[in-house]
Amino acid sequence: MTDTITPVNAEVHDEKLAEASPTRSSFLSYFGTKLGGALISLVMVVLLGFFAFRVLPGDPVRRIAQERPMSPEQIAELRRQYGLDKPVTQQFLDYLVNIFTGNLGESYVYRTPVSELIGQYLGPTLLLTGTSAIIAIALGLWLGQRAAWRNGSLFDKIATGTSLTLWSVPTFWLALILLMIFGGTLRWFPTGGMVSPGVEPGTFDYVVDVARHMVLPVVTMVAVVFAQYLMVMRASLLEEKSSDYLTTARAKGLRDDLVRRRHAVPNALLPTVTLVFMHIGGLVAGAVTVETVFSWPGLGKLTYEAISGPDMPLLQGTFVVFSTIIIVMNLIADLIYRQLDPRVRRA
Amino acid sequence: MSTVAAVSLAACLAIGPAATSFAAPVVAEASPSASASADAKTLRIATAGFVDTFNPFISIYLTPTNIIRYVYESLVQNDAEDGSPTEGLAEKWEASPDGMTWTFTLHEGMKWSDDEPITSADVKYTYESMMNDPMLGTANGNLVANFESVETPDDLTVVINLKTPQAPNPGTEIPVLPEHIWSEVDDPTTFANDADVVGSGPYTLESYSANQSITLKANPNFWRGAPKIDGIQYIYYTNSDAQIQALRAGEVDLVTGLTDTQMTALEGEEGITTHAGTGRRFTSLSVNAGAETPEGVAYGTGSPALKEPAVREAIRLGIDQESLLKNVLGGYGAPATSFIPIAFEKWHLPDDDEAIVSFDPDAAMAKLDDAGWVAGADGIREKDGNRLSIRLLADAEDIVEMSASEYLVPWMADIGVELKLETTDSDTISDRTAVSDYDMYFSGWSVNPDPDYQLGINLCSSRPDAEGNGATSQDGYCNPEFDALYAEQHSELDEAKRAEIVHDMLRMHYEDVAQITLWYGQSLEAYRSDRFTGFTTQPADNGIIANQAGYWGYYTVEPVVDESSSAAEQSGPGAALWIGLGVLVVAAGVVTIVIVRRRKTAGDRE
Repeated sequence: MTDTITPVNAEVHDEKLAEASPTRSSFLSYFGTKLGGALISLVMVVLLGFFAFRVLPGDPVRRIAQERPMSPEQIAELRRQYGLDKPVTQQFLDYLVNIFTGNLGESYVYRTPVSELIGQYLGPTLLLTGTSAIIAIALGLWLGQRAAWRNGSLFDKIATGTSLTLWSVPTFWLALILLMIFGGTLRWFPTGGMVSPGVEPGTFDYVVDVARHMVLPVVTMVAVVFAQYLMVMRASLLEEKSSDYLTTARAKGLRDDLVRRRHAVPNALLPTVTLVFMHIGGLVAGAVTVETVFSWPGLGKLTYEAISGPDMPLLQGTFVVFSTIIIVMNLIADLIYRQLDPRVRRA
Repeated sequence: MSTVAAVSLAACLAIGPAATSFAAPVVAEASPSASASADAKTLRIATAGFVDTFNPFISIYLTPTNIIRYVYESLVQNDAEDGSPTEGLAEKWEASPDGMTWTFTLHEGMKWSDDEPITSADVKYTYESMMNDPMLGTANGNLVANFESVETPDDLTVVINLKTPQAPNPGTEIPVLPEHIWSEVDDPTTFANDADVVGSGPYTLESYSANQSITLKANPNFWRGAPKIDGIQYIYYTNSDAQIQALRAGEVDLVTGLTDTQMTALEGEEGITTHAGTGRRFTSLSVNAGAETPEGVAYGTGSPALKEPAVREAIRLGIDQESLLKNVLGGYGAPATSFIPIAFEKWHLPDDDEAIVSFDPDAAMAKLDDAGWVAGADGIREKDGNRLSIRLLADAEDIVEMSASEYLVPWMADIGVELKLETTDSDTISDRTAVSDYDMYFSGWSVNPDPDYQLGINLCSSRPDAEGNGATSQDGYCNPEFDALYAEQHSELDEAKRAEIVHDMLRMHYEDVAQITLWYGQSLEAYRSDRFTGFTTQPADNGIIANQAGYWGYYTVEPVVDESSSAAEQSGPGAALWIGLGVLVVAAGVVTIVIVRRRKTAGDRE
């Protein structure tokens, strides 16, 4: 699973928009097409969620029974408890019926409904990825516009160079290095988890404790992903820089700094909106690595454990949830982009 | 929103994380030393293990079953010394001469952690629940499979009537539950049992927070006496490197399951002691000597050459155990004889047994020559047009298996055997070996103090069917003579005589080369010796602390009294650094405000 969606996506969307007709009635058909596409994707995900994990090798019961003093009767009983004694077609029908009633089945390992587990682990993931996303977006956009405005300057070179270097660093490696230096050696930040055991939820101490636990994972996620915002903002602003309206603004005698902030940046911001939404989906999925290294009790870690289990219902569940988040975010990106860009709405 | 606001927001967000990250440790910096002294009596253990449930009837994963050992006493406990049966809830026991009836006498005056008395009725309730409801037998059903009935003539006496004579003590390994709690539960099969648990062991389970922590507290009513510490906390670390860092940072006190590299890295760290304990695990090469169903129908894709005892013996002679130990395990292990590890010395087949052979490639080649395998042009032997080519399945993600394979391939080539390494994932290996689609693969088991189960899964009747379903077999081994000896030891109540029969069985198994036992790996553990001392290992002579077949590891542990020097050193960077960083953050804030203001006025100036 990758952490990032390349900035190339922004260009793809530009092309799509160039084709789209900017009238009101066509908006509905545009909306319909996008929504239909998203729904088809969802159906595919639901189907794939079942079959993809059936073709994986590994019999969960055999794996549990491995190296355990178990009688054949006990193994048969486990198979029955897990519903594996039923034919695959029956299991598939059960799965379909369940999924439409919001029931994602019961985890083999945790012996708890999957939907309940995902609910429990979704919060920490959203906290971690949300914070990282806000910081990465703000940092990337701000650095990107500064770099573009002073294109070729030392600032530009350093900002672009640093962000691209960090972007190409393996997340796992960066996370471990940060963990070793700031956790193990310097002891500035905790080495894992979301909260120290025994800290009462809801207290001030709790907030501070969670904040301390968040620093290293957030820094890792931000470091790896802010480059793409920087690059899109930079490219977008570079394009604006040569526009006539900026020459006009300058001709009015406006200070260069003001031309940038009042005229160029707002226009250049628009292409990045799509990216932001598309990226949030990817960021949630990208949490797997960071959550695993920092033992963050989120969906990413849950997925990792489901894979090592292997815990088929849980894998199906997290797969469906992750895919749904990405599909919905992409849909929002498609719709918002069309609404926001004044050049599309000009008719 | 004006661009000024946007820019300043961006700036705040950029500095924001720095501000929280630098400010927070100042608070926390004060707490580690404070909490270290306050919590000096709580042992913190790093864990990555799954918790399915803390319900002892159905819990099957390692972490919860280990914790259950600490929470619920069984009738008979596995001794710390060598794992042999010792007092648990029962102070004494006696088997009838025919081995059909076992009578246990409980200690007087024992109490559950909620002060209710522990009586024979609790034992009867627990055993009968498992015997009567297959769901409640999920975890330990095999242990009561031979139980005919359980009687309680009085509050302190438990009589177990068996279906067939049995030498292994039937009172071991079954956690006894409080009837007054469990009989009130609506559905014992789904009861989570994960908070304020009433138990009888040295600790009781206080709370569990999934994937975050598990908290145990000392049980003052434990019949051997309360532990010297207040409790145990298991803290979750998914990543084993993160566990090492947590130990170095003093966030946890005990880390287990280290690799030899991690162990070396921790050696010499101040305040940390590393410990290589003799574990209860063996690692072997399972050899497919021709799989058959219990009805004797051959199946699978095993190489016909491995059906020849001479070929199997030659392969064993061509493997240098000592070299593997040194180069693959970093020396953390002992050479193996058979599948009962050296930790259980009573049953273990001694190294100097006449059957044991050592590394001897010349003897290996002589065996193959005698069997008619002649070296071909490329040095690989052939017979009747068949090449002596053997497949070896290895888990690509397992460093030990991969590294051992690198030695095995050239060693086999030296004696004229082509070893084809097939690397894949553990699930595929599990699926392929279940249907006997292999020649050799890396295998291993954790063995219990009583050898009966491990011997039992080497019987002809323990072989699964061709789809891999049914019984559990260690290596698909079948030898009627071995089966006969198994029945004999199973009902031999004289322990010395039983041990002799077990040795005969292990020797027979060794000579048949159903597997090539490679080593008994040590369990690598590390703990904060500046905070805790007095761990009891099992076996007593350099055994393991965690994952014992008993509750000794954390029962005798006590806090280190004098921790003045190390505690000061542990508390991270000095206050001066934090004050400096604080000043920096404030300064950055001031600069930002000035810049923002300047910009605002700049706007006005236009």
